[in-house]
Amino acid sequence: MSKENTEDTSQGIDRRKFLSVAGVAGLGTVALSGCSTDRIEKLIPYMVGDEDNVPGIATYYASTCTECPAGCSLHVKTREARAIKLEGNPGSPINRGRLCARGQAGLQGLYNPGRLSGPQLRNADGSFSDVSWDEAITLLAERVGAAGASVAVVSGAGAGTFSDLLAAWVGALGGRLVRYQPFDNEALRAANQQVFGRNEVPTYDFAKAEYILSFGTDFLETWLGQVENQHGFAESHGFRDGHMAKHVYLGHRMDLTGMNADEWHAIHPGSDAAVALAMANVILSERNRAPNDANTLRSVLAPFTPERAAEESGLSPEAIRLVAREFASQPSLAVAGGIASQHRGATEACAAVNVLNYVAGNVGQTIHFGSGRPQGDGYGALEELAAAMDAGSVDVLIIHEANPVHSVPRAANFAARMAKVGFTVSTSSVMDDTAAHADLVLPNLHALERWDDLQPRDGVHALLQPVMMPVRDGKAAGDVLLEVARAVGGPLAQFDAASFEVYLKDRWAAVGRQRGRHDFRVFWTESLASGGLFDEPAVGDVVRLAPGARNVGYQRPTFDGEGDLVFAPYPSSMLYDGRGANKPWLLENPDPVTKITWQSWIEIHPDTARQLDVREGEVVQLVSPHGTIEAPVYPYLGIHPGVVATPLGLGHTAYGQYADGRGVNALDLLGGEDGGGFLPYLSTRVELRKTRRFQKLAKTEGNPRQLGRGIAEAMPFAAAVEGKTVAEVHGGPHEVNTELEQEAIVGWAEAQREKSLEGDYAGEHPNWGMAIDLSRCTGCSACVTACYAENNIPTVGEREVVRGRELSWLRIERYFEGGEDGEPFSTRVVPMMCQHCDNAPCEPVCPVFAAYHTPDGLNAQVYNRCVGTRYCGNNCPYKVRYFNWLSYAHLGFDDPLQLQLNPDVTVRARGIMEKCTFCIQRIRGAQNTARMEDRQLADGEVVTACAQACPSGAIVFGDMNDPNSRVARAGQDHRGYHVLGDLNVRPSVTYLAKVQHGGEH
Amino acid sequence: MAKQIPGVLGSFVHVDAATDAIKTLRTQGHTDLTVYNAAPNHEIEEALEQKVSPVRLFTLAGGLIGCAAGFAMTIWMSLDWPTMVGGKPFGAIPPYTVLAFELTILFGAMFTVAGMLILSFLKPTNKLMYDEKFSDDQIGIFVPCSSDRYSAVEEVMMQAGSVEVRHAS
Amino acid sequence: MTAIAQDRPTQTHAEVTRDVVATLGTHGRGYTIMLGGAVALFLVGLITFVLLLKDGLGLAGYNSPVMWSVYITTFVFWVGIGHAGTLISAILFLFRSPWRTAVYRATEAMTVFAVMTAGLFPIIHIGRQWLFYWLLPYPNQRYLWVNFKSPLLWDVFAIGTYLTVSTTFLVVGLVPDIAAVRDHVSGWRKKIYSICSIGWTGSDNQWRHYSRGYLYLAALATPLVLSVHSVVSWDFAMALVPGWHGTIFAPYFVAGAIYSGVGMVFTLLIPLRKVLHLEHMITVYHLENLAKLTLFTGSILFYAYAIEYFVAWYSGVPAEQTTFYLRAFGPMWWAGWTMIICNAFVSQLFWFKKIRTNITALFILSIFINIGMWFERFVIIVGSLGNDHIPFAWGQLNPNWADWGILAGSFGWFLMYFLLFARTFPIVAIQEIKEMIPMPRKRTGGHR
Repeated sequence: MSKENTEDTSQGIDRRKFLSVAGVAGLGTVALSGCSTDRIEKLIPYMVGDEDNVPGIATYYASTCTECPAGCSLHVKTREARAIKLEGNPGSPINRGRLCARGQAGLQGLYNPGRLSGPQLRNADGSFSDVSWDEAITLLAERVGAAGASVAVVSGAGAGTFSDLLAAWVGALGGRLVRYQPFDNEALRAANQQVFGRNEVPTYDFAKAEYILSFGTDFLETWLGQVENQHGFAESHGFRDGHMAKHVYLGHRMDLTGMNADEWHAIHPGSDAAVALAMANVILSERNRAPNDANTLRSVLAPFTPERAAEESGLSPEAIRLVAREFASQPSLAVAGGIASQHRGATEACAAVNVLNYVAGNVGQTIHFGSGRPQGDGYGALEELAAAMDAGSVDVLIIHEANPVHSVPRAANFAARMAKVGFTVSTSSVMDDTAAHADLVLPNLHALERWDDLQPRDGVHALLQPVMMPVRDGKAAGDVLLEVARAVGGPLAQFDAASFEVYLKDRWAAVGRQRGRHDFRVFWTESLASGGLFDEPAVGDVVRLAPGARNVGYQRPTFDGEGDLVFAPYPSSMLYDGRGANKPWLLENPDPVTKITWQSWIEIHPDTARQLDVREGEVVQLVSPHGTIEAPVYPYLGIHPGVVATPLGLGHTAYGQYADGRGVNALDLLGGEDGGGFLPYLSTRVELRKTRRFQKLAKTEGNPRQLGRGIAEAMPFAAAVEGKTVAEVHGGPHEVNTELEQEAIVGWAEAQREKSLEGDYAGEHPNWGMAIDLSRCTGCSACVTACYAENNIPTVGEREVVRGRELSWLRIERYFEGGEDGEPFSTRVVPMMCQHCDNAPCEPVCPVFAAYHTPDGLNAQVYNRCVGTRYCGNNCPYKVRYFNWLSYAHLGFDDPLQLQLNPDVTVRARGIMEKCTFCIQRIRGAQNTARMEDRQLADGEVVTACAQACPSGAIVFGDMNDPNSRVARAGQDHRGYHVLGDLNVRPSVTYLAKVQHGGEH
Repeated sequence: MAKQIPGVLGSFVHVDAATDAIKTLRTQGHTDLTVYNAAPNHEIEEALEQKVSPVRLFTLAGGLIGCAAGFAMTIWMSLDWPTMVGGKPFGAIPPYTVLAFELTILFGAMFTVAGMLILSFLKPTNKLMYDEKFSDDQIGIFVPCSSDRYSAVEEVMMQAGSVEVRHAS
Repeated sequence: MTAIAQDRPTQTHAEVTRDVVATLGTHGRGYTIMLGGAVALFLVGLITFVLLLKDGLGLAGYNSPVMWSVYITTFVFWVGIGHAGTLISAILFLFRSPWRTAVYRATEAMTVFAVMTAGLFPIIHIGRQWLFYWLLPYPNQRYLWVNFKSPLLWDVFAIGTYLTVSTTFLVVGLVPDIAAVRDHVSGWRKKIYSICSIGWTGSDNQWRHYSRGYLYLAALATPLVLSVHSVVSWDFAMALVPGWHGTIFAPYFVAGAIYSGVGMVFTLLIPLRKVLHLEHMITVYHLENLAKLTLFTGSILFYAYAIEYFVAWYSGVPAEQTTFYLRAFGPMWWAGWTMIICNAFVSQLFWFKKIRTNITALFILSIFINIGMWFERFVIIVGSLGNDHIPFAWGQLNPNWADWGILAGSFGWFLMYFLLFARTFPIVAIQEIKEMIPMPRKRTGGHR
C-alpha cells in the first residue's frame, strides 16, 4: 500500500515537472510543426534557437512508442532540439511511466545510420538511385491511378488515424488492404471466437491473479505489452506484506517468463492442450465453483484425463492434478498463445486454455473481453495476397510498416512473388529486406518526427508528435497518401486535407466536440501535453461460453521432417520480430536468458548435446525439409531435451550496417504454410549436423553458477512470510569471520571513518543508496538500455563483446540453480552495477585520486584524472568498472547516432575507466532545482535512469540518511542483504532477496 | 695539465716494501704521503694509520632527512586537499611508512655518494704524480717535498725496495 | 679443474687487468649476432608500443576481469630479475662471501637493466601512456597531489629508489675499474674512460672514503632489495582479489625474485663467460654457489605454494578455494603446472652436486627457471583476476601478438643494454678480485 503511495509521489513530481515543461512544449511543437515539412538538408542542432528552447534545460514531449503494438506512451527528452532519451509517460494506463528496452531503443531508429536520405527508385540494372519527392510522388500517383482496384497494401496492424486513412484510401480505390504483423495472435483470436464467440485478444490482469499459469507464453517478453504485463506480474508476484502470487510455467523452453516462474515443467512441445484440458477436467470434476454453463463441458472434458495428458506431456498425473487444484483455489490466470508454442494445434491449445480459465472462473475476473485491441488480418490474409500477387492480379503493391521478406519464411517465397507485381513501393525509412526488393522506396518519417495517433485499446487515444526536425529527408506516409490522392483525383479526391497533420487535427477536433471540448486549441494542447486521452478502462464485457466451446479437443500436432529434434524458433525479447536488429543498443543488450549478444545461436539441452557430442560454440547445421541454418550451439538446461531453439530476428538480407549478414533467420527452417490463419512456428523437426567449426559466443556470462557466494539470494515463501533474514534462511553460509572478528573489523572501519570526517566531508550530507527488490526484478534488461541511453555508453560490437569488453555499467547477472542430478532447474537474476561502497576497494588503489568518495556517499570516477592503471578495476570485487580499451566513443556512435548523446554526461575517452555513477547528473540536476526553489529535496525526486525505466518497479533510489526514505526503509527489510557483504566494503546497494514458492508439492 | 706539485714518486711491486717505505717516510715527517694502489689494502692502511672515514655521517644525515621528508611530504600532501578514499583517514600512517622508508634509503644513498665524492676530492690528486701501473699491479708512493729533499726521499724508497723512483721535474 | 674447490682466483694482479680489459672493445661474430637479435627484438616491441599508443590497449588481449595481464606479468618478472644483482652484490658483500666477486658486476648490471626494463611497463601498460607523469607528486594545475595510499605510488617510489640506488651502486663499483681500463687503452677510448673515471687514481684517501661509502651503500641496498619486491607484492596483496589477498606475499615474492634473478644470472653468465673467455674467473665454484642460492630460494617458493593452498583450504572462503582449485584444474591449468614444475620441482634438482656443477645442466635448468617464474606471475595475475568474486563476470585472457610483441621487446631492450655494457665496461670487478689476491712480498718471495 505504502509502495503505491510513494510511487505516486514520484510520479506526481514527474507529472508536475512534465506539465510545466510539456505544456509549453506542446505549443512550441505546433509552431515547430509548421516547418517540419520543409526540406532540410542537414540537421544542425541549435543553430537557430527556438524561444522555448533553453540551452542546458531539457524539453519533454509526449508521444507514443511504435516499436511494438502495445502502444506505450512516451516522454521524449530533448535537449537543444534533439531527442536524447525515451521514457515512459506516467499518465498512460498501459506502461505507467515505464518503458522496455525495445521502446527505449526507438531512439536508435530515429538516429539510425541506415536511414535513407530520400526516395529511392530502382534502375533497370537493379540498383537504386535518388529521386526527388516530387518525382517519386508523381510516379506513384501515375501507377496508382493506372492500377486502380489492383492496388494492394500490406500495412502494420496499428489502429489510429493513419491506419483509418489508409483503409479509406485503399477502399476508395477498391484495392486490397492486408494488415499484417508477425506475432498477431491469430490462433488465440480464433480460439476466443470458438470458445467465447469473441474474435479478439482480451486484456489480462496479471496484478489481480494469485496464481499464474503460462502455457509457453512469453508474457514478460513479446506477448502483448511487455511493460504492462510485467507491471501486473510484479504487482502480484512481487513479495509484499506476506503475499506473493505463484507462477507456474509449462513449456518446452524456459524463456524469461519461465525464468520468473516458481515452477517450470518442460512439457513435450505441442502437448499444452492435453494438459489444459486435463486440468479443466480435474477442476470440473473435483470442485464446483465453475460457472454453471461450464458444467455442460463435463462430458466433453471427461476423456481428457490427467493420465492421458501425462502421457502426452511428460508431466506426472499427480503434478497435473496438483497444479489444477492450486489453480482453481484462488484468483488465477492461465495464458496461452505465445509465438514460441504456436504449433499446428495452437488454436486447439488456446481454446483448451480458454476452457481452463472459464471453469476456474477467471473470465471476467482476470481476463476481460472488450479490450478493443487492434487486430491484423493475420498470416492467412497475407498468404492470400501473396497468392494473388503470384497470379499477377496485383499491379501496385505498397508495403508499409511491415517487412514480410524477412518475417515470412523463405519457403513462402514472398520476395519472388513481389517480383511478379508490376510496381512495388516500400515506405521503410531504411533499406530493409522488403524495401530492397521494391521498385520505389519512400522513406517514412520516424515516429518521433511525425504526427499520428494510435488506439492500442479502448480508452487510450495516444498521440504522436514530431519532437524534432527530421534527421533525414523523409515524408510522413500520411502526407504521401494525401499527395498521391491529390494527384490521382477521382475516387481519391475525397482526401483533400492540406496535410496529414491537418487531417489528424480535424479528427481530433471531432473527438473534442464529442467530449464537449469546444476550444480546440486548449483541447489539442492539453491532449498533446499529456500524450493523448487516457480514459478510465472500460469494465469488461460479460462473456459466456459459445457453442464452439464444446468442440475443444486435443490432437497431437504434426511436425514436418524426420529429424530427431523439434525446432522451436522463438521471438527475441530484444529484437522482437527482427525490427530491432538494426539498433546496436538492442543487439548489445544481452538476451535475458542466454546472455548472448549480436549473434544467433542454437539452444540445446546439455544432455542432448552430450549425446550428439557438441559443445558450446560449436557451429552446427540444423536441417529441416524446408531449409538449413547454421549457428553456434549454446547448451541450456532450460530446454526440453528433444527440442532445439533459436531466436528470431536476425538473418536479415538487408537492414543496414548492424543487421546485414548478422546471424541467421530461424524462419528459414519453416515451411511457411498457412496453418489455419496463422503461421505455425513450432512445426518442424530438424536434424543436427556437425560442421567441426567453432565460433566464440558473444556472451557476457562468465560462469553461470554462484558457487556458494550468495550473490543472488532467494528464500522460500514460507520463510519470507515468517520474516526471516537471508542469513537465517541459510544458517549463515559464509562463516568467514567469527562474531568477534566481525566486530573488530567493523569497529575498526567505524573508527577509520570517524577520522575521515574533515574538510568537505564534515557536516550533514545525503548518503545516496539504492534498493533492488529481486522478487520484483524479472531480468528483462530494460534498465540496461536506459543506462546506455542516459550515460552515453558506447556499444562495442560483437568482436569486442567476444573479448569480454562490453561497457554495460549495469548488467543483469543470471545464475542457474539446480538442473543437475534430478534437482529442479531454476534461475535467479541480479542487476549488478557499481555498489558505491562506503569502504570502496577501488578508491585507495588509484594513484591519482581518479576514484574517490564524495561527501554524499558516491563513489566518483573523475575521467579527466584517470590515467588508466586499471587497478581499481582489478580491486573491485563486483567487477563493475569498465575500461575503454579502444576509442569506443568513436567506434560506438556511427553518424548520426552521436546525436542521441546526453549532453549532461561526458563521452569517455580511450584509456580511462568508467562505471555507474548513480546517474550523478540527475542527482545534481535535482539538487540544483531544489536549491533554485529554495527547498529540500524530497524523497523520490532523484530517479536514476534504471529505476525510471524498470517496468516492475524493482529499483528504488534515495537518501539512506533520511530514515523515512523508501530506500532506507527497504534497507531495513528482513529480506535485505548486501552482495559480498562479508568483505566489509559496505555497499550502498541493498538487494531484497527473491522469494520462491516451492516445496508445496 | 695543472701545474705539478713537486715531490718524489716511488713504485713498488712488493707490499711489504711499500709499507716499509711508508713507515720510514712517516717517521721522517712526511705525513702527507699519497699512496696509490689498485685495490684497498689493509697493510697499507695500517702503515698510514688511517682513521675511519666520516662518510657515515653523511649516510646518517641523509637517512634521517629522507625519513622526515617522506613523512612530511605524504602527510602534508594528503591534508592539502583532503580526499577520502576507501573510508580511510586522510593522513594514514601505515601506508606512508612505505614511502618514508623508500626515501630514507634514497636520501641515505645519495648523501653517501655525495659524501664519498666530496671527501675524496677535497684532497685533489690531479696535480700529483701518477703512473698507469698503479691501477694495474704496482703500489705508488708520492711524497710531496721541495726539490732539495728529493735525494733523501729517493734514498728511503730505494732502500725499502722500490722498483722505480722518479721526481717531479 | 682444480679451481672448483678454490675460492680465490689464481691469477696475478696484472693478469686480472689484462684479461678483463681484453673483454672490451673488440667484437666477435657471436657477439654481433646476439646484439643484432636483441636490437631486432627491441624493434618488435617498439613497433608494438607505437601501435598501442595509436589505437589503445585494446590491441592486446585484455578483457574485462583480466585488466592486468602479460604486461604486468612481464613487469613483475623484470623487477624480480632485478633482485639477484643487488642481493649478490650488497648482501653477500656484507656477509663477506668471497665467491660474490667474480659475478657481482654482471649481476649488478643485470639488475640495473632489468629494473630499467621493468620501469618501462608502468608506462606501457597504462591507458593514457602520455600522462604517466601524473603518478609523480609535483605541483600541478589541478591542485591535487597523488594518492600515497595507493600501492602503485609505493611502486613508483620503490622502483624509482631501487633504480637510482642500484645504478649508483653499479657506477660506484665501476669507477676504480674504469680507471684501470683508462690506464690500459689509448686514443679516444682513453679520453672517454678518463672522463668516466672522474679522476680516480686509487690514492689512499680515495680508497679510505670509498671503502666506507661502499659499505654503507651495501648496508642501505640490502633492506632496499627486500623492500622493493615486497612493495611490488603488495600491489597484489593489498587488493581483495582471491589469490592475491595473502599475507605471505612479501617474503614469497622476494624469494621468487631472487630465484628468478639467479636463474637469469645463469642464463646470461654461462654463455657470456664463454664468449668473453672468462672461464677461469667465473668458475664452476661460483656457479655452484649460485645454484645453492637457487635451491634455497626455490625451496622457499615450494613452501609458499604449498602454504597458499593450505591457507585457501583452511580459510573456508569459497572464492579463495575456487581460485586455487582453478589454478591447478581450471582452464589455465597448464600455466599453473608450468609454474609449479619449473619452480618448486626444478629447484629441488639442485640438491645434487652433479647437477650443481654441470654447466650445461645449469644453463638448461635456468631456462626452466625463467619460464617458471614468468608463469608464476602470469598465474597469480591473470589466473586470479579471471576468477574473481563474481562468477558471472569471470573471463579468461587470450593473449595475442600485442602481448607477445611487448614481451619480446622487453627482452630485446634488456639484452641490448646488457650486451653493450659487457663490451664497454669491465663485466668482472677488477678491483675486488685484486683485493682478494695477496700482493707479492719481497721477504717471502711471493705468496704467503
